[in-house]
Amino acid sequence: MFVTPTNPRFIDKAWTRGGDVYILDIEDSIAPAEKERCRTLIRESIQKANKGGASIYVRINKPFVDADLPYAVWPGVDRIMLPKTESADDLRHAHDIITRLEKERGIPVGSIELYPMIESTLGAVNIHELLTAVPRKLSSMGGAGGYDMAMNLGIEMFASFDQYAWPVAYVALAALSLDIEATGGVFVPNTSGRVDQGDQAAKQAAALHAAGVHHSGALHPNFIQPLVQGLSATADEVAWAHKVIAEFDKLTDAGESVGMLDGKVVDKYEYDSALRTLEWAAACAAKDAYKARAMSRAQQASA
Amino acid sequence: MNTQTLQAMQPDVEKPLFVGEKPMPKYIRRSVLALSIDDAQLGEKAYASWADAIILDCAKHPGRDWQADLKARVPAAIQAAARGGAEVFVRVNRDSAAAELEAVVFSGIAGVVLKGVTAPEDITAAAEQLDALEVSRGIAHGALEIDVEVDTAGAVWHSLAIARASERFGVFYVNEAALCQNLGMQSTPTLAFDPLEYIKSQLITVATSVGGQAMGMSYPLGLAQDNADEAIVKKAVRLARDTGFKGSMCPHAAWIKVCNEGFRPTAEEAAYYVKVIEVFAEGIKRGMASVPIDGKMIDVPVDLRAKLYLKWANRAQVRDDAKARAHERQGN
Repeated sequence: MFVTPTNPRFIDKAWTRGGDVYILDIEDSIAPAEKERCRTLIRESIQKANKGGASIYVRINKPFVDADLPYAVWPGVDRIMLPKTESADDLRHAHDIITRLEKERGIPVGSIELYPMIESTLGAVNIHELLTAVPRKLSSMGGAGGYDMAMNLGIEMFASFDQYAWPVAYVALAALSLDIEATGGVFVPNTSGRVDQGDQAAKQAAALHAAGVHHSGALHPNFIQPLVQGLSATADEVAWAHKVIAEFDKLTDAGESVGMLDGKVVDKYEYDSALRTLEWAAACAAKDAYKARAMSRAQQASA
Repeated sequence: MNTQTLQAMQPDVEKPLFVGEKPMPKYIRRSVLALSIDDAQLGEKAYASWADAIILDCAKHPGRDWQADLKARVPAAIQAAARGGAEVFVRVNRDSAAAELEAVVFSGIAGVVLKGVTAPEDITAAAEQLDALEVSRGIAHGALEIDVEVDTAGAVWHSLAIARASERFGVFYVNEAALCQNLGMQSTPTLAFDPLEYIKSQLITVATSVGGQAMGMSYPLGLAQDNADEAIVKKAVRLARDTGFKGSMCPHAAWIKVCNEGFRPTAEEAAYYVKVIEVFAEGIKRGMASVPIDGKMIDVPVDLRAKLYLKWANRAQVRDDAKARAHERQGN
């Protein structure tokens, strides 16, 4: 979830919300006159927001990359989000500064991930060039929709159909072709435009989960729990994955490659899919356990 | 809503909102009507249409020196087509583009529409020829636009290279029927979904990425091209605008009014943008750059979008005013 470091009501409570990630924003939710103060609050905000075991990202401003990064690159930051990325040069410039700061601040070089946010048509058409621009981990790739893209395309948002069919799919395909996880590409209508309704988050999570997408963002705390729950592997999915793996093992032992289980085909494809389900379930469980321990420590400390 | 009202809503309509701001959309070209230079009623139809742009089709008549014939007749046709204040273009076939450009490029046109394009080289060749023709025909250098009627798989596949091939590139027109034919698809709308949805979205994205725009209609009307009831056309235009199209070819004169009204922000939207700008400005005064209106988040891009769309509404009104003045002049 995005959090504004300048608002104590938001930043002080963020860790209690149970999110997997908090994004400390210096960009669009921060008024121009507050940017300077916001920068100086990032370091202490990291400690506040990750008390509950969440990962920490920082969203900087494209026009102020040089000014923002020295305030954004600290131990405890997992990812820098670079908005409105449109060219390989945008990424190279940010990468060079982050590398220098990592060296200066004793952070393992290359450990901070860089997330190019695709928010314009130019960024979308240049996506492959962007994703191959720097020797730094680009861990996931979504976007090519949203508020800025709507402005660039000159469209009203919140239509009942997918207004970003090509750019979102194109960006996701480019990412997948480079073994970068894709986090976009699934359309869920939200004709009200509201960002605070949990049932909308649940629908969004269900659609993403069905498409194999593991991450989604939020602008309001009401979205967090529906997303965390909806994007996690369910008990039924885990049970089914175990059955598929057991059945495929039996087939393999018998020298066969295709069988049936409860009327469904079991083959190598289903076997691999089941393994991925278990991997994802294990990752979710590990994150939940980590957050629970951190949350417990933080609650004891604040008691 | 008239120009004065819109300007009062946003006094600095001509002032750039940010460094590098480009007009959005690039052109106020909501309705485009194709007319033949052989049409005896060309001037009357163009004048009565209120189209933002007219595309002239120039048939090559057998048994004549078609180049000499067109050279003799096109200048008058351009003048006739412009009577109602429309921008005038000439449609040119890619296969004989060099010869056709020589015969139809004259002062008074805003550009040419190339059909049958399959590669960026088609654009660069036309652009080079326009460089020379502008000099020889007294047209300002670089003034002529090159638009592309997308009717082949090649044009779709190479769309980015085509759009980047020349600074003259302005618009992609989606010719759905021709494209379906080229792709081996049925050219009647029998499906429940738009089979060209992905292609349309690609062309809109690519054209916008170079500062241009895409023109087209939503499914199924874009493919059927029916002379449908106004309510149906109105709904289709809204859908097309929400997809990112900035105007459409109008196969029927009845579409033009609907397109002129539909491919621009409505008065209700303009009023909402004013509210967004006011609420956001109040938030900024309180040090908040993210404020809600009815549960919707209003932040920097939403505020900026509201300002850009007010400019768009204003430019559309200015265009309408200019056409009205052209009609008054022609009426006197």
